[in-house]
Amino acid sequence: MSTTSTNTDDRKEADRLQKGGHLSSLKRRPEVGSFLVMMFVILAIGFASNGNAFNALGLKNNFSIISQFGIIATGACLLMIAGEFDLSIGSMIGFAGMSMAMMLKWGLPFGLGAATPLTAFLFTLAMTLALGWLIGTIVVRSKLSSFIVTLAFLFFLRGVTEVSFRLINQSTQISGLPDYKETSWFASMFGGESFAWFYDAWFALGSNINRAGNQWVSGFDARVVWWIAVSVIAYIVLSRTQAGNWIFATGDNRESARANGVPVDKVRISLFMLTALCATIFAACQVFETNTADAAKGNLKELEAIAIAVVGGTLMTGGFGSVIGVIFGAITFGLVANAVFFIPSIDGSYYRVFVGVVLLTAVFLNESVRKRITGGL
Amino acid sequence: MSEPLIRATGLTKRFGPFTALNGIDLEVRKGEVLALLGDNGAGKSTLIKILSGVHQPTEGKMYVEGKEVSFQSPRDASAVGIGTVYQDLAINPLMSVTRNFFMGREIYKGIRPFGILDMATMDKIAHDEMVKIGIDVSDPRQAVGTMSGGQRQTLAIARAIYFGAKVLILDEPTSALGQKQQMGVLKTIMSVKARGDIAIIFITHNEIHSQLVADRFTFLALGEVIGGGAKEDLAHDEIRRLMAGGADIGDLEKELAEVQAGGL
Repeated sequence: MSTTSTNTDDRKEADRLQKGGHLSSLKRRPEVGSFLVMMFVILAIGFASNGNAFNALGLKNNFSIISQFGIIATGACLLMIAGEFDLSIGSMIGFAGMSMAMMLKWGLPFGLGAATPLTAFLFTLAMTLALGWLIGTIVVRSKLSSFIVTLAFLFFLRGVTEVSFRLINQSTQISGLPDYKETSWFASMFGGESFAWFYDAWFALGSNINRAGNQWVSGFDARVVWWIAVSVIAYIVLSRTQAGNWIFATGDNRESARANGVPVDKVRISLFMLTALCATIFAACQVFETNTADAAKGNLKELEAIAIAVVGGTLMTGGFGSVIGVIFGAITFGLVANAVFFIPSIDGSYYRVFVGVVLLTAVFLNESVRKRITGGL
Repeated sequence: MSEPLIRATGLTKRFGPFTALNGIDLEVRKGEVLALLGDNGAGKSTLIKILSGVHQPTEGKMYVEGKEVSFQSPRDASAVGIGTVYQDLAINPLMSVTRNFFMGREIYKGIRPFGILDMATMDKIAHDEMVKIGIDVSDPRQAVGTMSGGQRQTLAIARAIYFGAKVLILDEPTSALGQKQQMGVLKTIMSVKARGDIAIIFITHNEIHSQLVADRFTFLALGEVIGGGAKEDLAHDEIRRLMAGGADIGDLEKELAEVQAGGL
């Protein structure tokens, strides 16, 4: 071997990273897979429903469920980026709803008198945050998999919810609470309406009219505002703050994060408290909108939250994910979950069939995007 | 001669009845590379762990810039300027170069931990620091997973230096790398040495690498220093003999030839 190639001298290691314009950097965004899936679902459902899914009422109903999904999936996403799971979200929703409704009906604990929506919410939030802290602390201290610890809390909290209902209320549901959102600003923040100006403008533009000729829909559910708020805050925290860097570092390689001074235990405990907070917001919206509570509320929501986070590009093993992807994922799931109302000819169980298909498709797309970004890791 | 930047005398470490290190003396000056060589089990790792504060020595003293120090944790060691780059590098492959560079020590405006990151400044610093020691990452926002092993090593070294390492301990930085990348890391070591204000302790298995960059050598075997000296004073064969733990095993090539001649 006397001939060696010499034209490699000016080629540097850095040259191996392909550079490109805006389009190729757009293709390297982690959200691109979930965006494509979302666009497909929007078009397919818009077409199959003759546009009914996106008329005034359709939009309101769709965004109602999209927001529900989005609120809990955002919490689940951040926790998954830090490398942990929370299977107790659904039971936490049931627990928080029970707690608030029970306080409103039977009064505050410790003989503190009648509850207002604000005090019921604050007492409940204190409990759910404490539970989130407890779950996080158990995971961090015991070094057990969060899958097992939160699975235990899935059963434990659902059981506690049912037992509390039967002991205090003699029935596993509460209905017929006063319509607090009419009298309390706090309750209407969760159960009322939002973006009335949007539908007013729609009406003013000559559409959004019911058969009697009046304005048809008056506004989105209040939870849309909560979803936007949760998403915006989560996006800023994750991508722009020190805490966000710690969340990524904790999920990617915990020991190296620890070695560099990242408080990985505090990060994880805080995120378990965040999923508990998201579950509580979810429950508050439900209780104050319908003025009812049921021991079965929130069932299976933890799995939907995880599925949405995964569809949104979050990596199951942590260290990678995007809040914007979760927004796309929530829209996809919400539309599919509601599709049966707009396309009367299909069987409602197609929801699950479709969820399965979407989940796999999105994961395949996300994997190829992620490999492009991270060099195949 | 100037005061050594780091000096250790009589370092001894016992794990129960097992003596891992037995009276190690060591000193490194500014702008100097000390190669720490020895076979597996010679006590290299234990020595690094003592110097970087992971273990506490059973006996012996350590001085940094003439002042006696004792470390309760790796944090104490890095506070006085001992930066250790371990074999696993403590790098997160899915995160960007900048985010890795500033992991745990982010530049931010506002209230910790929700301060807004100053990404532009951090990108610039990460890029400039890497260029200073010889690697131009075109995009500091690229994931570390896309970088070669040598570049990752450079990132870890640049990070340690930027955050105030006066003594840089490199734990086998060239093992598990390809030939060209090994040379890249050696170049990095040389450019750090050329700064003149940092003392480097370079742990390696590879005598050729150590000869290329080191000023002085210390050989460990069975927990003791069995030899050492300045580069000029040591012949190549002597280095090889000491590398093998001082035992007179002769020339490896000759032994292999004998085995082959034996009819295998």
